[in-house]
Amino acid sequence: MAGLSGCLSGLSSGDSGPKPLELLHAWSNGDGAAAIEALFEGFNEEYPDIELSSEGISGAATQNLGQVVNERIRNDDPPSTWQNWPGAALTPYVDSNALGDISDSVWSENDMESAYREGPKEQAKGTTDHYVSVPINIHRINNLFYNKSVVEEAGVDPTSLSSPADLVSACETIATETEAVPFTQQTKSPWSTVQLWATVLLADSGHEAYQNFYEGNPDREAVASALDIVSQLSEYYPDDSSTLELTGANAKIINGEAAFIHQGDWAAGAYPDDFAYGEDWSYVPFPGSEHSYQLNMDSFPYAADNPTPEATEKFLRYCGTKDAQIRFNKAKGSIPPRGDVDPSEFPQFQQDQIEDFGNVDHQPPSMQHGLALAPEQRTNVVEAISAFIGRYNVESAADEVVSAVQ
Amino acid sequence: MDSVRSWLRRRIDSIQTDQQVRTDGGTASEVSQGERRSGLGRYLDSDAVESAPFWLPSFLLVGLFVYGAIVWNVIISLTDYEGLGDPQYASFDLENYRQMLQETGSYSFTNAFVNTIVLLVAFTLICLAFGLVVAILVDRDIRFENTFRTIYLLPMSLSFVVTAKMWLWMYSSNGGFVNRALGVVGIGPVNFIRNPDPNVQLAAVVFALIWQFSGYAMVVYLAGLRAIPDEHFEAARVDGASIVKMYWRVVIPQLRTATVSASVVLMVFGLKAFDFLRALYGNDTPAVGTDILPTYMVRVAFGDASRIAYGSAVAVVLFALAFSIVLPYLYSEYRRGAL
Repeated sequence: MAGLSGCLSGLSSGDSGPKPLELLHAWSNGDGAAAIEALFEGFNEEYPDIELSSEGISGAATQNLGQVVNERIRNDDPPSTWQNWPGAALTPYVDSNALGDISDSVWSENDMESAYREGPKEQAKGTTDHYVSVPINIHRINNLFYNKSVVEEAGVDPTSLSSPADLVSACETIATETEAVPFTQQTKSPWSTVQLWATVLLADSGHEAYQNFYEGNPDREAVASALDIVSQLSEYYPDDSSTLELTGANAKIINGEAAFIHQGDWAAGAYPDDFAYGEDWSYVPFPGSEHSYQLNMDSFPYAADNPTPEATEKFLRYCGTKDAQIRFNKAKGSIPPRGDVDPSEFPQFQQDQIEDFGNVDHQPPSMQHGLALAPEQRTNVVEAISAFIGRYNVESAADEVVSAVQ
Repeated sequence: MDSVRSWLRRRIDSIQTDQQVRTDGGTASEVSQGERRSGLGRYLDSDAVESAPFWLPSFLLVGLFVYGAIVWNVIISLTDYEGLGDPQYASFDLENYRQMLQETGSYSFTNAFVNTIVLLVAFTLICLAFGLVVAILVDRDIRFENTFRTIYLLPMSLSFVVTAKMWLWMYSSNGGFVNRALGVVGIGPVNFIRNPDPNVQLAAVVFALIWQFSGYAMVVYLAGLRAIPDEHFEAARVDGASIVKMYWRVVIPQLRTATVSASVVLMVFGLKAFDFLRALYGNDTPAVGTDILPTYMVRVAFGDASRIAYGSAVAVVLFALAFSIVLPYLYSEYRRGAL
């Protein structure tokens, strides 16, 4: 509707009023759609004069969106801003000078510089030394969710696990003590396994080994050790993991058919109201990775040659405010990248996550989600892990994963 | 004198034969009038020009958007274009093609190429064999013949996205039909989609595709069988041929045309298995054993890395592959006068 009215006003030329702020995103349904709606509502209240035209481009995660944005930039007709992973995922845009510097125009306002947490600030710069985007949310990757009654039945205390190896032996206990699947996982698509392997690498060999890996100096031994643990965990997957999607894998936690799942915090968003946090399910940081908050974020980059420079700056400034981040993250199930937001605005699970964030030493970016790895390396890692699934041949996979980033 | 007379007679003969006698007894002279017209007029009168309003617009559109795009794709494959910015048309080289052959790792070009060939050959041959057997059975004057024909053909009318989802359930280890059936004979459950052996992954996909398209082979063969005159069957029977011998010696050799046309169509269907794999694995990285050239091409060209030029080079190989399937067919049809 907004797009249509935009077209019509363009036709009735004469007075060419200000162009509407154009935002492209892939949040077309579920919690994402609710979150972006809430954000737009807040922006409208703040700046009623700015016309905002947004378009949801769904499909293939954010791949279709990326294609459209690339095409628009190639034709010198970039949108005002769009949904994009920050960090290394912005490399192609940075390399082709498609992003503008917003250090002064946006980041100097609203105490953003001082209020944003370190990890998000680093990621907001893409691969440059100045700010090119505004992160709007933080998802945590290294969570281990569990069904309380299943682990209690098996006599396992997840809070006592302190390493990935502990988790493997906990799975063994669950397998012998109960009928439940110890570790539910989907292996139809590679992404969940890439995530799991990256988290195990972080938990098993520490933050430095993780950082060395994505910076291009992989330690083969650390990589192989993480692959080996994933291979051990795979023995505790559901039988039908290769025909499941995340929804189906996660449903096993809700139904009490499975004990553990490793997922980003969006998995918690799928838990229904009658499956209560603290009573029916709970979470711990993935054993061994308590020191880190593994980040996945969405951000709004600022297109160079912006069609609506002033309106875009106002929008990005708004995204950097507490109000915007409360609205967006409440609906999305993530936590705000600003450190000064009052946690009591959020449900209990998110409050706990915010508290965890305050206690970690490191905020490493996610590899699966392109924050840590430039697109080409990311593709290589995903392919190497995809080849690993099913076969679980640690040695050959380690060679491929290592050469993927070298 | 004799020679002059004979020359004259020959001239007269030739004029007479030029002037064809028309059905009303007069002579047709339009032809010679037409010949006297100017070159341009003759050109404007020709069938090709007069029918141009009918064929020219579609010819130009197809030329530009199909063949023009193919040529452009070949040109891009010679550049090193990477998505953003504009392609540099200044320097052309075969670097992308060299890179294809040098790729290592599980998801290499070679892996995708070999998978594609295996899929095409296995899928086409088994489909034809299965279709032939079913066609012969349906052709033997059974009851509910039309019902059976519809049942066998129905899967083909479903979209790949639907059948991929269905086969995902069929192959599920948790109550999936295939694993249930194998369980009865004491095998399994087998993990087909992510089997440790890439060949099993590919076999599972080929099996699903055969299920979907053998009905098509059946229909083509059925039409071929119906075109064989009854006398051939009767003559074979009179000569005392057994049923097997009759089909082997008399009927199947007459199904050559049906086989060739069905196999070309099936191979083209096989090349389009992209949709099936995309829906089956839910993203652009299928399992190693099922990575075929179309999925590989889409991943390198439109994945995050967006290596458009390299993807174009893969597309050229795919095009050459499709062309090498269709061209011999078209040529043989042309030789037989069927085109």
